[in-house]
Amino acid sequence: MPRSTTSTALKLVILLVLFAAIVAAFGLYQPRFLQTSLVSTVLQFASMLALVALGQALIVLAGGAGIDLSVGGIVSLSAILSMMALQAGAPPVTLPVLAVAIGALLGAVNGILVTRIRILPLIATLGTLFVYGGLAMALTAGGSLSGVPQWLVPFGRGLVGGVPYHFLALVLPAYLAAAVILTFTAWGRWLYAMGYNERSAHLVGIRVDRIRFFAYCLSGALSGLAALVSLAWFGSGRPNIGLNLELESLAAALLGGIAITGGSGGVIGVLIAVLMIVTLKTGLQFVNVSTVWQVGIVGALLLLVLLLDFLIPRRRA
Amino acid sequence: MKMLKSVLAATVALAALAGAAHAQDKPRVAFVPQLIGIPYFNSMEEGGKKAAEAFGVDFIYTGPVDANPVDQLQIVQNLVNQGVEAISISIIDASAIAPVVADAKAKGLKLFTSDSDAPDSGRDVYVAQASDQGLGETLIDELVKRVGEDAKIGFVSGEATSSNLNAWIKIIQDRVKEKYPKVTLLEPQFAGGSSDRAAQLASDLMTANPDLKGLIAVASSTCPGVGQAIESAGKVGQVVGTGYCSPNTARSYIKSGAMGFTVLWDPAALGYLTVWAGKQLIDGKPFVASNEVPGMDHPIPYDEKTGILLLGDPTVFTAENVDSFNF
Amino acid sequence: MGARIAGSIGGRELTLLVAGLVAMAIFAVLSPVYLSAGNLYQVVRNSVELLVVGLGLTFVLAIGGIDVSVGMVLGIAAIAIGNLLLAGADPWVAALAGPLVGAALGAFTGAVIVFGRIPAIVATIGLLGVYRTAIFALLGGSWLSGLPSSLSDIFAARIGGFLPASYIVILAAYLAAFVVLRRTPFGLHLLAVGNAEERARLAGVAVRRVRLAAYVVSGTLCGLAATFYIANYRNVEMTVGSTVALDAIAAVVLGGTSILGGRASLLGTALGVLLIRVLQNGFTIVGLPSLWQPVVTGVLLLAALSLERLAASGGVRRLAFGAP
Repeated sequence: MPRSTTSTALKLVILLVLFAAIVAAFGLYQPRFLQTSLVSTVLQFASMLALVALGQALIVLAGGAGIDLSVGGIVSLSAILSMMALQAGAPPVTLPVLAVAIGALLGAVNGILVTRIRILPLIATLGTLFVYGGLAMALTAGGSLSGVPQWLVPFGRGLVGGVPYHFLALVLPAYLAAAVILTFTAWGRWLYAMGYNERSAHLVGIRVDRIRFFAYCLSGALSGLAALVSLAWFGSGRPNIGLNLELESLAAALLGGIAITGGSGGVIGVLIAVLMIVTLKTGLQFVNVSTVWQVGIVGALLLLVLLLDFLIPRRRA
Repeated sequence: MKMLKSVLAATVALAALAGAAHAQDKPRVAFVPQLIGIPYFNSMEEGGKKAAEAFGVDFIYTGPVDANPVDQLQIVQNLVNQGVEAISISIIDASAIAPVVADAKAKGLKLFTSDSDAPDSGRDVYVAQASDQGLGETLIDELVKRVGEDAKIGFVSGEATSSNLNAWIKIIQDRVKEKYPKVTLLEPQFAGGSSDRAAQLASDLMTANPDLKGLIAVASSTCPGVGQAIESAGKVGQVVGTGYCSPNTARSYIKSGAMGFTVLWDPAALGYLTVWAGKQLIDGKPFVASNEVPGMDHPIPYDEKTGILLLGDPTVFTAENVDSFNF
Repeated sequence: MGARIAGSIGGRELTLLVAGLVAMAIFAVLSPVYLSAGNLYQVVRNSVELLVVGLGLTFVLAIGGIDVSVGMVLGIAAIAIGNLLLAGADPWVAALAGPLVGAALGAFTGAVIVFGRIPAIVATIGLLGVYRTAIFALLGGSWLSGLPSSLSDIFAARIGGFLPASYIVILAAYLAAFVVLRRTPFGLHLLAVGNAEERARLAGVAVRRVRLAAYVVSGTLCGLAATFYIANYRNVEMTVGSTVALDAIAAVVLGGTSILGGRASLLGTALGVLLIRVLQNGFTIVGLPSLWQPVVTGVLLLAALSLERLAASGGVRRLAFGAP
């Protein structure tokens, strides 16, 4: 697929230029913006979105109209359920495992709905978004669940050389692993192949359904990791912690160059897009632009990048 | 990634040079509401602006577009990074703010709460509109006066996660248990931020309980929905609507009789007091038991034990007095 | 043509109808007030906006599109109507302004998708953000509340003491939509584009124009829903319309319209909306806390589609549709 790799590289360059332009613009307007704590702040607030967006990206990459609207619901519900398990007597050491396992399980339900029962992903995950998000609120009546073990809290708030622990320990390894797997392993090539053309992937013997099911489980597990980050960070489980993550993660994945039709794009772009979105929000707050403009600017940016995407190959052709 | 890092490193160095040159001439006081774009917090902003002029500070008003604790925390963190000297917050979720308190302390910034508190967070002061106790009790006492001591009463609240709304509900429930044993309180229903959901829930409650006598709109965002539902169900006079609603929001419902009364304070005065408190903290002036605030007509009590500055008693708005208020 | 209409009133519509009636029977047993005229009126009244938005989305889904920004279009149109009423405009002018603003926004949405060649789901996520900011900016932080009741007097008045007058308009809209879809070339083209876009293009259908038109129809109906919204609630707050899109998509899909396009069931959409509202209302009446409502909607959506899938594969045909 040489064509898609060049366009992926081009998208990456566009993205980096855009990112640099945003940082420079804020820096020129308000030099105090470029202080060292900016990096810590951006990374601290980027971790959850980065983890969730990675899962979202894998699902979209795998094609078959893949999309996961339930990621925010999974984050909320796995935070709540793992805290409930703790309160019901599960040993506190198991909290990280619980959060990830519950996330993976909720993702597996999506996988079954999509690959076994064959409900279209958009609708299946819209249904589970209602169910997961609703359950998290209903089970707690909106209250937050305290009792996160104290030893976990430094993990949520601590920094190493200005970089949050969870970014170093979870986000970077997750993205590196994903990049390596996608580029160098058969599994990764299968994922691209089935996203690019499902029928021919089938014909050459790729087990499309199994890989897709696995992608949904993985997305669930990554959302579970995001839930873990939230638990460590806030010291309590909140039933609406995943609010709005479904659309934000999708915006990040698409901004990062993942084609909505699947089969094209890479995860490094997604990480850059996540950092760019969080930096943009931070910067707008820094120059005291009302937050009402943030959703609109992120939305417009998404449209703009996709319009460029459509214009550039045309001009070359 | 590498390129990104070097870009950042270079710009950080640049900033260190430029930072010193960019000095603030006036101290800054920020207020972070639970969400922006609702009349209640808009009034607080107005009051804050007035105080900023009176006391010579710069006033920053910024908050999340959804009542989402993570977004609120991000905004507060940014203000801390900007080095805003005093930051006041209307807390959405009491424990969510903990991560940033230590950070602010380390930078020598003043972090305090206003309108909605986080008591154990280590905040410098809480600027309260009225005691939660006073708010809850005034509302239920006034309502019972109108509907009788054996009435059935329902709640329509906003976000299920708002700690201040849940506190008021709890106080009302406790008061009823203790003082009005014959009053039946229904389980609170949560409408989120939308008035159509509030109207839907209010009308369902009235249908499910034909003997319902009172309906409390706990969040200001649910006031129009509750008033509208009582009007359109043709239950004006049978069901008394009430809630923590500003006169402007509730005026037409109070006049139609759908709402018997509402309870609130003047949010503009609360915003004014918040900015004054921020200025005091920046100047390092301690609060005393009774504070004279320039521009306010009565002294403001301060409770040292709880660290609460109290605006005063809540106002009860009725058909008789509602037209003399405009907020 | 006749066979096609009969074919379109198929299993799904019947299932929804039966499910709705069974649910109502159960609620009636559980609560003596459930079947009161007052309560049924509430269900009917609370369904108004979703019925209208759902009808528009049925067109969009029929061409294989989607629009998650419909709630925001409703919101912007509601602001326009509200401001006109506050300025003392004639209620009929205000009522017409809603659909006009909606049509303009629908045209814009459609243009971004069709001429920008951006997939509908992505484009409307972006537009959702843009429109939402527009709502904030237009309201400027203050709600429109206590609007004059002139629109309410027209559309919220009850016919025969029960049905809101808005239902005359809704019924007319559904009938018109039915005629357009089943009796005009445009309807044929619409379904053809949804079925197989490339083949439709080769057959000479002006694909772009048809797709654009679907979004304009949807936008217009969002504007109409805004008119009814103002008539019902007489205020516009910042969060206006925030839950409309997902609820409406759930209802339309529940009604049997496929998001892959090519198939539209108007009756199904109406029944889907009513079933969701019947269940939400019924569960509140029997005392289930409102926080469970999204769970009910989600389970309903997944159960309906899963059962249909399983039935199609032969597994549990009887379980899904029951004895005839």
